[in-house]
Amino acid sequence: MITATATPFLRNRLIRDAIGRAIYEVMKEDNSVHLFGEGSLVKQHYDAPLIEKDFADRVHTLPISEDGDLNFAVGASLLGVRPVIDVITSDFLYRCMDSIANTAAKLNFVNSPGEKPKTIVIRSEFLTVGPTTGQRPEAIFCHIPGLNVVIPSTPRDAYGLMLTALKTRGVTIFFEDRMIADAETRREDRDTEDGRFLGKAIAFGHAAFRRESSQATLTICTYGLMRQVVEKALDVQEALPAVAFDLIDLRTLYPIDWGTLALSTKKTGKLLIIEPDVQYGGVGAEIAATIAENNPVKVARLGGPRQTIPASSYLRNQSMPTEEEVLRAIRHEIHDPRA
Amino acid sequence: MRSGMRSTIPEHSPHEMTALDLYQQMLLVRVLEEELQTLCDTGEGSDMHFNRGQEAIAIGVCAALQPTDFTVTHHRMIAHAVAKGVPLYPLVAELLGKADGVNGGMAGEMHLRHPASGFMHSFQLVGTALPVAAGLAWAAKYYQKIDAIVAVFCGDAATSNGQFHEGMNLAAVQKVPLLVICENNGLAGNVRSPVYLPTKTVAERASAYGIRAVTIDGNRVDEVFRVAKEASAYVREESQPFMVECNTTRISRHKQGQGDLRTKEEIADLAKRDPLLYEEKRLGLGLQEKASLLAATRALVQEVVTKVRAAPAPRFPTP
Repeated sequence: MITATATPFLRNRLIRDAIGRAIYEVMKEDNSVHLFGEGSLVKQHYDAPLIEKDFADRVHTLPISEDGDLNFAVGASLLGVRPVIDVITSDFLYRCMDSIANTAAKLNFVNSPGEKPKTIVIRSEFLTVGPTTGQRPEAIFCHIPGLNVVIPSTPRDAYGLMLTALKTRGVTIFFEDRMIADAETRREDRDTEDGRFLGKAIAFGHAAFRRESSQATLTICTYGLMRQVVEKALDVQEALPAVAFDLIDLRTLYPIDWGTLALSTKKTGKLLIIEPDVQYGGVGAEIAATIAENNPVKVARLGGPRQTIPASSYLRNQSMPTEEEVLRAIRHEIHDPRA
Repeated sequence: MRSGMRSTIPEHSPHEMTALDLYQQMLLVRVLEEELQTLCDTGEGSDMHFNRGQEAIAIGVCAALQPTDFTVTHHRMIAHAVAKGVPLYPLVAELLGKADGVNGGMAGEMHLRHPASGFMHSFQLVGTALPVAAGLAWAAKYYQKIDAIVAVFCGDAATSNGQFHEGMNLAAVQKVPLLVICENNGLAGNVRSPVYLPTKTVAERASAYGIRAVTIDGNRVDEVFRVAKEASAYVREESQPFMVECNTTRISRHKQGQGDLRTKEEIADLAKRDPLLYEEKRLGLGLQEKASLLAATRALVQEVVTKVRAAPAPRFPTP
């Protein structure tokens, strides 16, 4: 029997707090960092009270005109402002496709001698709860020259990658995956412990091995929310002795860490890409093609159907691979008879 | 007036321009575009958007600005770039895609930037200039806390675009020093204004945002200059947006390589309102003076264009 899934993910705070901490840290040392967005100050009140307390004058609440707001922030960047523009749910990225793809993404391509490249961070969140409520448009942005695409899967990565986004010359689309469960986030993945800050800057284009073994016979590559789902599936699968895996969490989809993918697949000869987005035309297709073109590696993909995300909470889980599907795909790759 | 006549093109010092300087600037744009047009016809230049008939607006407005002020503009930008003082050789090199261009030949006319002269951006996509210019003006006022204002140029057709309205709204609520210059030529490419403009004037649209606006004859450079001077003083002192709607005539086609649906008679009629003719009459320029100014301008432009044509092409940038 199918049961309705509640929306506890809206209460997930760890990654959101980590992002807020990173922005706050950079705001302390760099007064060119300004926040823009709809209800921006109210959002800081709830999500990053330190920013509201210390830097309210650098938080700018703009009208509900996402495309214009983003162009506005680009205009400010021409005089040295480092804007963080929060468009809230990812559906609004489509609203400002023009200002992102035509204005912001081209900004650093056209430079005058002596002019410094601009830094712009565009924040947005995945929800995956309805046709236009937190879709997953990450692949589209990977296709556009001039953009970095970041999707952290842990609070520590979120902190480290946001530090980098704010210090990198360039335009970064920084996604926050709201469905990554706090309750399942391991202690070592947090950016704080007993009030101590553990996060450090993480360079773009550096994937993380979530699991690594010299005996690995399968490379699993994933990102965002799917990392947690894959880890749960692996916990089940590893009840089988003698089968080891490399699990690569991409962290940034552009630039992508081809070196780590090549290193692991050279060892295992087999790559399974698991993505939370629509599989058709997705990031997995690019990874599969590039790896297969250049290495003798067998590649397989598991992603979501090319289907609009239904609003019904009874159907929500079917928009992306479930733990059972992930488990089945892994077993299939390692010729486990239970596949 | 005529006693100040010079035999060469003046150096850029927009804050000290005489009436004759303004005429020469318009003439420079006219001659430069004519020269570029021959290159567009042979394919050496890409299909550019020329200002013929609209020159008085760019020249009059930019002459009224301070050198430290900024401009943001649209695709029909050659007049604005010349008026704002983008140096001629690298400007032409950029327009013709050469490595010596102000942006290394990567931008062309419709993404061109030259911050050193305050020419901050041209945009191909109609309407984009408005919110970007509003953000720029915001940063001048609240971030850099400088006295500069931003003059943004848009056509009347751009005022049917959402970005125009979002930009006007942002400029008004954020109270930014933005001078909006609407070049109303009654055309969107080959389409006439009843298709996109339901109001009698563009200036009326500004009132929806509480932005003050005036409508003037944009083909009279003296009037443009006078009104722009007043309007820019208001924008600077009040730190508020203001709009000047400049009625004008586009004599050139929308862009090179594209047909023009207007009849020859209609275009000839528009040419009677040519801003250069108006200014020649006003200044009382004689045939000989006109001829010598034209010859000097042509010589200068041809020298620059010849040099640009011989300049190297850029390399494809590495991703």
